[in-house]
Amino acid sequence: MLPEQIAKALITESFHSRRLVVALFVIVNAAMLTAGWLWPKGYVASTSILVDERTIIQPLMQGAAVATDALDRSKNAREVIFGRKIMDVVLEYGGWLKGKPSEESERLIEEIKKRTFITTVGKNILRIEYHDIDPLRAFRVTEKYAELFIQESIAAKAAESGAAFAFIEKQTQDYQDKLARTEEELKELRSSTLEVRAGSDTEVTTRLTDLNRRIDVAMQELREAEVKEASLERQVSGEAESTADIFREGQYRVRIAELQSKLDTLRLSYRDTHPDIVQVKTQIQDLTDGLNAQRQRPEKTRRDESVVNNPVYQQLRREQAQIQGTIEALQVRIAELQRQLQGEIGRGKRLHSGDARLAELTRDYLLRRRENARVSMNLDRDRQGLTFKIQEPVTLPQSPVGPRFWHFVAGGMLLGVLLPMGLLLARLQLDPRIRVGSMIALAHKVPIVTIVPHLWSPTELKSLRWEVVFLSLVVVATIAASAAIAAMRVIKVL
Amino acid sequence: MSKIEKALSRAREGRGNLQVVPVAATMAASGTAVVANSAAHPETIPRMAKSEVRLLSADELAQRGLIHPQHSEDPTVQVFRELRTRIVQQTRGQNAVILVTSVSKGCGGSFIAQNLGAAFAFDVGKTALLIDCNLEHPSVHRLLVNASLPGLADYFENPDVDIQKIIHAVGIARYRLITAGKRREILEEHFTSEKMKHLIDTLRRRYQERFIIIDGPPMAKIADIRILSDLADYVLVVARYGRSTDTQIANCLTAVSDKKMLGIVFNEEPRIPRIR
Repeated sequence: MLPEQIAKALITESFHSRRLVVALFVIVNAAMLTAGWLWPKGYVASTSILVDERTIIQPLMQGAAVATDALDRSKNAREVIFGRKIMDVVLEYGGWLKGKPSEESERLIEEIKKRTFITTVGKNILRIEYHDIDPLRAFRVTEKYAELFIQESIAAKAAESGAAFAFIEKQTQDYQDKLARTEEELKELRSSTLEVRAGSDTEVTTRLTDLNRRIDVAMQELREAEVKEASLERQVSGEAESTADIFREGQYRVRIAELQSKLDTLRLSYRDTHPDIVQVKTQIQDLTDGLNAQRQRPEKTRRDESVVNNPVYQQLRREQAQIQGTIEALQVRIAELQRQLQGEIGRGKRLHSGDARLAELTRDYLLRRRENARVSMNLDRDRQGLTFKIQEPVTLPQSPVGPRFWHFVAGGMLLGVLLPMGLLLARLQLDPRIRVGSMIALAHKVPIVTIVPHLWSPTELKSLRWEVVFLSLVVVATIAASAAIAAMRVIKVL
Repeated sequence: MSKIEKALSRAREGRGNLQVVPVAATMAASGTAVVANSAAHPETIPRMAKSEVRLLSADELAQRGLIHPQHSEDPTVQVFRELRTRIVQQTRGQNAVILVTSVSKGCGGSFIAQNLGAAFAFDVGKTALLIDCNLEHPSVHRLLVNASLPGLADYFENPDVDIQKIIHAVGIARYRLITAGKRREILEEHFTSEKMKHLIDTLRRRYQERFIIIDGPPMAKIADIRILSDLADYVLVVARYGRSTDTQIANCLTAVSDKKMLGIVFNEEPRIPRIR
């Protein structure tokens, strides 16, 4: 539907449903008039409190704690103000409990809460607003709110400061104790070993390196001596065996050579069958057998005197004895060096732990914290950490707030016209019954032959005339009555 | 207002209704209407003039819910004149049988049919005959002083009642009507009868300038509408402001053939009258 079609249809409909329109106009006006009459006059008193809050613990936490924002602030303030403690005082102060049983206090408190608005303006200004039908009570209650809130907040803050103070003091005491204990331990450490003193870390390291090197050298020497000893051992035993064997064979060979020489001499003079030659031959044979037997004998020949008396052997034995002495000396030296090394390591460790503890306790931040704690304690002592200032004091409200009576009257007039129009428009849009003829042609592709307006009969016209007069009178009377009541209200006749 | 002024006013009103009806004394007839026995010789308007009853004044017509040419500035009167002109254009000057039916009961189909008849009658070159076929809720008889005169039902039920006896003058020049009749229990089967067909044919042929308007039942009686639309040349569907819905209109349109459909008359649009 086009806007002009809607407008035309709305006018037609208004005329068609004229009685309904006028009735609604009268009802709406009457309702608004009644509402305006019954609407309680509201007075608002408000106050602004500048809250400059520096949390004692916050600088000490080095940004770990989050600063309270505006939302939190109003929420916190609401918690404090709407707490039973303050509300009870306000209830008593406002005189609500007079002549009423204390069982009603819960309900009264809820009602008061509904009329109290706590908001934050900017970051640090807290606004307390209280609505009441009595201007004086609005003023007094708001004033009381501000007073109690400040009082309660300072008390809470003092408690917080006290806790913070105790905490910091305890921490400081702990640090001090630790520092003292560590310094004492360091003193002991330093006095226990002269080497251990501040800055002797490098010396310990050098000494440890030196000891390690010396141990390595001694170990090397020990290994060499052991190898040498093993070699000598082998040489000593080998020399003894070969000497004994060579000596016995030699004896056999010398005898055989002598007998051979004698045989050769005898053979110059005698035949082989000569008994001397035969004898010699037999002797040679025996000796040869003995030599062979000697060669084939498996067991080692027992060392005998001749071996012991061998000079090479004796030389070897001497060297062997020396080497053994050296090994023992080296072993003793290594053990001693290792003992020294363990000692140095222990000293080093003690030195390090002492250094570490000293370093920990003498770090800058600890000192700074201690300083901050001291500053905060002083701040707290001087009440410098938290300030409340009444930015805007409460004033006695002079004029009521909220809609005035004439607002209701004017609103009634406007609504009295708009509501029926709105309803008619809604009916026009939602009712499936057709009210705009041209819509039929669009919807059904059938021509609208004609639109026949209502034919007014003379009787109808006559009654319509009376009806229009009557309805106009009703409308005029309604407007006049509303205006008259509003005027009387303004000049305080009513 | 003096007596002379009243007399003059009455004389003016009478002339207004009569328009330029010539007084014809050539043919005499008695009774309420003159209908020839033979359709072969079409009669002319002057014959009808003799059978007129006392013509009704503009106020009397207005009280009966009928338009009067004297109120030519009235938008409703203008609308009916325009409607008449459109139908005449459509029929190219020939007379026609027009069925007027409502989308639903209470849409004002009878009002449109009666006033359309009046609009045709206002034209001196044309006559109008209104037949009340809304047997369940007849209304045409209210236009007559004597509402108990024989009508359509009597014509079907009683062989003694002939066509002349059921056609009545209404108090508007060149305007006749046939009421539904006394016997309302008439069955719809009569519409399909040869007698009905004969009736329509006879009426149509009797006067070439006669426009026959059938005040039909609402579309709820869809069977009757189909039969009556077969008898008619054109169909007008009446929808009413603030009553008819799109669905109802859509249902009606399926019952009438597109060829005969003249269109929709949107009735009873509220109008703010001039109140003096």
